[in-house]
Amino acid sequence: MKIYVGIDDTDNIDQGATGISAKHIIKMIENQRWGSCQGLTRHQLLLHPAIAYTSHNSSMCFTADIEAAYLEPLIEEAGRFLERYSAPGSDPGLCVVIEEQLQDAADLIAYGYETKKRIITKEEAFRLARKLGVHLSEHGGTGIGVIGALAGVGLRMTNNDGRFQGRLKLKAPGAIINVAEILSSSPVEKVQSLDGYILHGQEEVRLGNKLKTVLLEGKRILLVYRRAGGLEWETCTTVHLEHY
Amino acid sequence: MMDIAFWSKNERGQVQFNGGRHDWVPAAGIAGNCPHFLLDDEDELVAEEERSCYNCRFRRWTDRSFICMKR
Repeated sequence: MKIYVGIDDTDNIDQGATGISAKHIIKMIENQRWGSCQGLTRHQLLLHPAIAYTSHNSSMCFTADIEAAYLEPLIEEAGRFLERYSAPGSDPGLCVVIEEQLQDAADLIAYGYETKKRIITKEEAFRLARKLGVHLSEHGGTGIGVIGALAGVGLRMTNNDGRFQGRLKLKAPGAIINVAEILSSSPVEKVQSLDGYILHGQEEVRLGNKLKTVLLEGKRILLVYRRAGGLEWETCTTVHLEHY
Repeated sequence: MMDIAFWSKNERGQVQFNGGRHDWVPAAGIAGNCPHFLLDDEDELVAEEERSCYNCRFRRWTDRSFICMKR
């Protein structure tokens, strides 16, 4: 069965990163042979002085295909991991959603979008989790990471939010490569311009320094752009990707 | 001492960068001389110049700019 795993708030100002915590949990699932995990995405939530985020208020989510029998051990071990290895003073939260058992994804998606617009309380997050019958648990500190953990899953379910964790490794910066080679040698599913044009296999792209992908229409997309007056496609910079 | 060309105090007394979220050159220049600079996790980097306040672990984003937590 397909599950979504959301985690948030595992760092403090000096140490830890929620992306790294999520990668450890993915490794744990795969080492235990509980199932296979797919792309880890980062989702931006509201930036507001009244919210107790460390520095950027983002949460992480990945999906996994697992046998039903491994669900409980996975939840237990992931929670234990967050309790043991999250940074001191952090407030970790864990959310696990079984896709086939979720009756109303629209509510969860709406909640995800709400966390980008207004301050949400921990009680609201737990109330929605109870209503939807999804797993939501806190693992230290104030536990306010549950807000973002639930939001990470909701935003991932939109299929149109967030950047994938990590950078692509293709060729050296400045190299020119065609789309077919990008698709065959990386997890990228489409190469697309910022205004939505999908490049075909023989079109060429100049690689930039940092190759990041985003989640659009449920696909892992490498975004490209043309400089003003230019004819050459180039991979987008981190500045272009700020709002993804 | 706080350089008022680049920083001001917000209503909470925190030191906020005046340049907003895209003032790349000053942010790189300040970080170049900052003893506290620490590169954030790769997923949180936004500036092309690696050593930039925008990429520092000790910046806390606000809706329009960031607060330096070491000033």
